[in-house]
Amino acid sequence: MKRRVVITSIGVVSSLGCTPDEIIMSLKGRKVAFERQASDGEVVVAPVRNFNIRSYTGPFKDGRYLNRGAQFSVASAIDAVRNSGSLKESFARAGLFVGAGPNLDIGGEFPEVTKGNIDRNDLQALWILKFLPNTAASVISQLIGIHGENLTVSTACSSSLQAIGEAYRKIKDGYLNCALAGGGDSRLSSGGILAYKKAKALCIGSGKPEKASRPFDCGRNGFVPGEGGAFFLLEELEQAKKQGSEIYAELCGYGCSLDAHNMTAPEKSGRSAKDAMNAALKEAEVSPSQIDAVSAHGTGTVLNDEMEANIIFEIYGKAQPSVIALKSWIGHAASACGALELAITLACMRDGYLPEIRNLDEPCHGEVKFVRSGMSAPFGTAVIENFGFGGQNSALVVKSVY
Amino acid sequence: MNIFAEIEKILAELLDLEDSDITPDTYLIKDLGAESIDLLELAVAINNRFKIPVKDDDIFLGCFRHYMSEAEQQMADTVPYIAEKYPFLTKDRIKEIAARTVEGPQLKIRDLVDYVTYQLERARHAGNDDS
Repeated sequence: MKRRVVITSIGVVSSLGCTPDEIIMSLKGRKVAFERQASDGEVVVAPVRNFNIRSYTGPFKDGRYLNRGAQFSVASAIDAVRNSGSLKESFARAGLFVGAGPNLDIGGEFPEVTKGNIDRNDLQALWILKFLPNTAASVISQLIGIHGENLTVSTACSSSLQAIGEAYRKIKDGYLNCALAGGGDSRLSSGGILAYKKAKALCIGSGKPEKASRPFDCGRNGFVPGEGGAFFLLEELEQAKKQGSEIYAELCGYGCSLDAHNMTAPEKSGRSAKDAMNAALKEAEVSPSQIDAVSAHGTGTVLNDEMEANIIFEIYGKAQPSVIALKSWIGHAASACGALELAITLACMRDGYLPEIRNLDEPCHGEVKFVRSGMSAPFGTAVIENFGFGGQNSALVVKSVY
Repeated sequence: MNIFAEIEKILAELLDLEDSDITPDTYLIKDLGAESIDLLELAVAINNRFKIPVKDDDIFLGCFRHYMSEAEQQMADTVPYIAEKYPFLTKDRIKEIAARTVEGPQLKIRDLVDYVTYQLERARHAGNDDS
């Protein structure tokens, strides 16, 4: 019998809130956390305010080795485990799949090396751990006691969606019965801001911060860096039923691909991105017309949104699904964006609510069904898609179980 | 400067201790659970805080048992032999540690304080010699 995979717990730390209910309240109340960055007033950021990892972990000394992105990973993974109600012991044979980005805190953290020496007083003996991508996975495994198959995925902004996709496949293919999957990231450090500003990927300007992120709008001019983390407990359906786990949704298809084209820009026709989306639909055994909603990557950059709007139009033809763009609410959480956007989409699915794409005044495509005002709208199937620097593409299909 | 208080502060931060009831007689490894990775960080932190050279083998008494057997092989008296290697320890403290090495690591917070005090003194003398 075909093995099916369901999501049975969610842990999320986002600028909209730290539970599905809080997130829905922020969406309906139109509350966002955009603000001007302290050290560079041209840049708008979307921080998670008042985040303290110790409120998730309690005192633990290895916290000293977690960069801010890794802290979001650890916090949301612990939250997912806690919300599952399962005993820690039951995670011994679980898998662990983590999307992670680089630590770009070059000003605050990365030392200047002169003649082989580093002249910094606050440099830790093991500062390397703040830069290794698997530090979050190591800490999560220690805190929860996970020993199973695992992977840390670092494919730029596609990372955490791919981590979830790989975990889904491992369970579907029988290598695991359950896995924790997700990711956390932050690029709000001065080094991170500098990196994306130099790459000309950020929204630069002086207007109201809330107006900065405008995916699919003709006036879009870059993304707003965000941060946060989300983790999911994935279980094989029969096991989940046997244990009486609460089932949020079924993961039923995954696809990923590479553009093989350019270091940063998406390939214009979106051919490979479409391949990833079609592969996910095929694995899910659904036709495009059966998809109710698409959570777009929608960065608010000129190139991504143009390519993405075109391929959404092409794939769905006459049966266009409702398109939401959650980066207009939380900014771009880099490698964690897929996990966060899945968490928010699942919260919306449960509530039957589609949030508007904020600041979408003049859509860049006339035929795509962008959600223009928030509305109660039950939806049962959704595609989450993400594209990353380097031509990384990924898509995931989720189905409601209600 | 209260060296003990400074070291206590470093340890509380490093080991993320909430209510630290560290005393000079607290064992670093047995009581506070410090592991090798923590000792590495502690050496770096003490070096930064006090601006003194920190040799890991010296401050953490890593070679104490090795020196004991060296003394034995050379048929030398243990206490003066080790006192030469670890000049920051008092003779009584060396006797105490030597008697209990079989019980595991004997390193106490007071040994760290003595190491720092000794190195600060040396630095002061070196400074006086210069002038």
